[in-house]
Amino acid sequence: MSVVPLSRPVPVTTEPRPTRHLLIGLAVGFVALFLFAPLVTVFAEALRQGWVASVQALASPDARSAIRLTLIVAAITVPLNAVFGIAAAWAITKFDFRGKAFLITLIDLPFSVSPVVAGLALILLVGANSSFGAWLAANDLKIVFAFPGIVLATMFVTFPFVARELIPVMVEQGRAEEEAALTLGASGWRSFFTVTLPNIRWALLYGVLLCNARAMGEFGAVAVVSGKIRGETTTMPIMIEMLYNEYLSVAAFSLAAVLALLALLTLLLKSLLEWRHADLLAATRRH
Amino acid sequence: MRAGILRSPSPLPGFGLSFGIIMAILSIVVLLPIGALLGRGLMIGPADLWSMVNSRRIWSALALSFRAALVASLFNLVFGLLLAWVLVRYRFWGRRFIDAAVDLPFALPTAVAGIALTALYAPNGPFGQALAPLGIRVAYTEAGIWVALVFIGLPFVVRTVQPVIEQLEPDLEEASATLGARRPYTLRRVVLPTLTPALLTGFALCLARSVGEYGSVIFIAGNIPNVTEIAPLLIVIRLEEYNYDAAAAIGIAMLLISFAMLLAINAIQVWSRRRIGLV
Amino acid sequence: MNIEIEELAKEFGTERALYPVSISIPSGALIALLGPSGSGKTTLLRILAGLEFPTSGRVLFGGQDATGLSVQERRAGFVFQHYALFKHMTVFENVAYGLRARPRKERPTEAEIARRVNRLLDLIQLPDIGGRYPNQLSGGQRQRVALARALAIEPRMLLLDEPFGALDAKVRKELRQGLREIHDRTGLTTVFVTHDQDEAMEIADLVVFMSKGHIEQMSVMPPAGKARAVPVAPR
Repeated sequence: MSVVPLSRPVPVTTEPRPTRHLLIGLAVGFVALFLFAPLVTVFAEALRQGWVASVQALASPDARSAIRLTLIVAAITVPLNAVFGIAAAWAITKFDFRGKAFLITLIDLPFSVSPVVAGLALILLVGANSSFGAWLAANDLKIVFAFPGIVLATMFVTFPFVARELIPVMVEQGRAEEEAALTLGASGWRSFFTVTLPNIRWALLYGVLLCNARAMGEFGAVAVVSGKIRGETTTMPIMIEMLYNEYLSVAAFSLAAVLALLALLTLLLKSLLEWRHADLLAATRRH
Repeated sequence: MRAGILRSPSPLPGFGLSFGIIMAILSIVVLLPIGALLGRGLMIGPADLWSMVNSRRIWSALALSFRAALVASLFNLVFGLLLAWVLVRYRFWGRRFIDAAVDLPFALPTAVAGIALTALYAPNGPFGQALAPLGIRVAYTEAGIWVALVFIGLPFVVRTVQPVIEQLEPDLEEASATLGARRPYTLRRVVLPTLTPALLTGFALCLARSVGEYGSVIFIAGNIPNVTEIAPLLIVIRLEEYNYDAAAAIGIAMLLISFAMLLAINAIQVWSRRRIGLV
Repeated sequence: MNIEIEELAKEFGTERALYPVSISIPSGALIALLGPSGSGKTTLLRILAGLEFPTSGRVLFGGQDATGLSVQERRAGFVFQHYALFKHMTVFENVAYGLRARPRKERPTEAEIARRVNRLLDLIQLPDIGGRYPNQLSGGQRQRVALARALAIEPRMLLLDEPFGALDAKVRKELRQGLREIHDRTGLTTVFVTHDQDEAMEIADLVVFMSKGHIEQMSVMPPAGKARAVPVAPR
C-alpha cells in the first residue's frame, strides 16, 4: 500500500492561519491604541499626585455640587425618556396609523443633529432674546442658563435611546400575548403590566442603561445652555472642562475618572445583559 | 383620536394615551426647538443668512468638520469591518473582552475622551513624545481632530456589520469554493457584496455623528480660526458673543447637513431592503 | 349559547377580507371554518372574539347583540394559532391568569383558583406540569395548556385559530379527538378554524367552507365517527 502525502488542507470558510493571526493582531492593536490607551490615561492622570490629591479634588464643594447636579439631571431625564420610549414603542408596534414611518424618523432625529445645534435651538426657543423667552423672563421663569434648560438639552440628546431598543423587540413579540390577556378578561393596563412589561423588561433596562450613560456624560448640548455658573449649573462634564482649562489637571481627571468608572460599569452591565438575555434584546440581533 | 389617524380599530387600548405622550414630549423637546431655529432663519431671510454664512472662517469650519468626519469615517469603515470580522469569525483569548470594549465610546462621556486623548497626544504626552521624532504632530492639528473622531465613531461600523456577518451562511462561501473560487475571490465577490448595505449604513451613521461632534474634539483641536476650528465651536463662540443670528445661520447650515445624512441613511436602508431583504 | 352571525363584513383599507356572511350556530355545536389562507376564516373568528371590528353587520350571542361588546366582556375562550402562552409565567400562572384578572369582588380565593386550575390540568391530562414554563413543553402540551387557559375563565364559547396547525401529524390526530371530547364534556359552543379538510370533517358537526371572503358551502356532518359516509363536494 503506498502512502500519498497529504498537503495541508486549504480552509474553505476561513483564512489561512498566518492571515488570521495578522488580522487578529491588527484588530487588537487598533483597540489597544484607540480605546484602551485613552481609558488608561484617564486613571493615570487622575492618580498622578496620588490618591489623596484625587480624593480631595472630588471632595471640593464645586465638584460635589457638580456630581449632585449630574445625578439629579439623570434622575429626571432617564425616567421621562423611559416613559417616552415605552409610549412610542407601544403606539408604533401595536397600532397601524398614518404617518408612522415619519414619526420613527422624527424620533431618530436627535441621533444625527449636533448636540451644539440642539442647545442652540433651545436657546433660540426659550432664551431671553426670543419673544417666548422674554415672556418667561417677565414671569421669573428661568430655563436657559438654569436647571430646566440642562434637563431639556439632555432629554434632546438621549431621546431615542429607549424607543430604539424597544421597538424591534416589540415588533418581534407581536400582539398575540396581549390579545390573549384581553380575551381572558384582563384590562388594558393589567395586560400591559402583567404581559407586556415582563416581556420587555431586559430590553427596557438595556435602553435605560445606555440612556443613563449618555445623560450623565452629555457635554455639547449642556455646555451651550448651562451658562457654566459654578456650583449651580455645572454638571460633571462641564466642570471637567472648566478645571481642565484652568490647568487643574488632577482635579479634571479625577472627575473624569468617576465618569470613566461609570462607563465601565455601564459596559459591564450591558455585557451581562447581552450574555444572559441576548434573545430578549434588540441590540444583539440588529441588522 | 381613534377614528382620526388609526388605520384600523384595535382591541388593544392606550393608543390615545401613548400617542399623546409621544407628541407632547416630542414637541417640547425636539420639534419646538428645531422649529425655533428654522423660524429664526426665516426671520433673518435667505439673503442675510447667506451673507452671514458666506465668510472664510465659516466655510473653513464647515469644510473642516465635514472633511475630518469623512477621514475618520473612512478609517472606521476599514477598521470597523476588520474588527467585526475578527470578532465574529475568529476565536482568540480576550475576544469577549474586546467585544465589550468596542462600545466604550458610547459609554464614555465625550469630554472625558477629549481630555484623555489630548493628554496622550500632547507634545509632552506618551504618544506625542513617541511621534515627535518622526516629525508627526497630532494634538492641536487637524490630525488630532481625526483621532478624536475615530474614537467616537468606532462602534458604529462594527455594530452594524457584526450581526450581518453572524447571519452570513457558510453555505455561500462553501458553494463559492466548490465552484472553484479561491478564498480572496470568495471574499471579494460573495462576502463583501452581502455586507455592503450594512457597511454603508454604519459609515453614514458614523459620518453623521462625527460632523456634529463637539466634546471630544475641542480639547485636542487647538481651535485656531480657519485651521482647526470646527463648525460647532463657531456656534458656541457666536453664542458667547450674543450674536444669535450668526449662530442660527451656522446652526441651520449644520441642520441641513444632518437632514441630508438622515435622508441618505434612510435611502440606503430602503435600497438594501429591496436588494437583499436585510434591514 | 347560540351564536348568530348576520351579514358580517370586514374591510382592511381598500381590501375586502370578508364579504357579508351569515351563519347560525346552534348552542353546543362544534363547527369548523375551513378554507385556504386568505379566505377570511381567521378574520371571522377574530371578529367573534372581539379582536377585530366588523365594517358592517352584527353578531348575536344568545339572542343578544354583542357587536359592541369589548373583548373582555365577550368572555370567549380563545386559543391562538401559536398559543400565545405567557413565556414568563408557569403553566399554573398561565391557566390562573384569567381568574386573577377578575375584579376583586368576582375573584375566587387563591385556594379556589388552585383547585380550578388543577382540575383543568387534569382535564387536559397533564396534571403534573403546573410548575413548568411554556418553553419546557412540547408542542402538543402547549396546545392543551392554551386550551385549559381558555377554559379557565368559564367562557361562553370556545374559539380556536388553527389549533392543530403547528403540530406534527401524529400528535394532531390524538388532539383532534381530545378537542371533541372536551367539547362534548363542557357542552360549549365551539368554533375552530382549519385548512385541513379531514380534520374539519372528522370532528365538526357543521363545516363552513370559506374562500376569498365568501362562504362557499355549509355541510352538516353526521354524528361523529361516521364523517366519511357523507360525500362533500370539493370546491
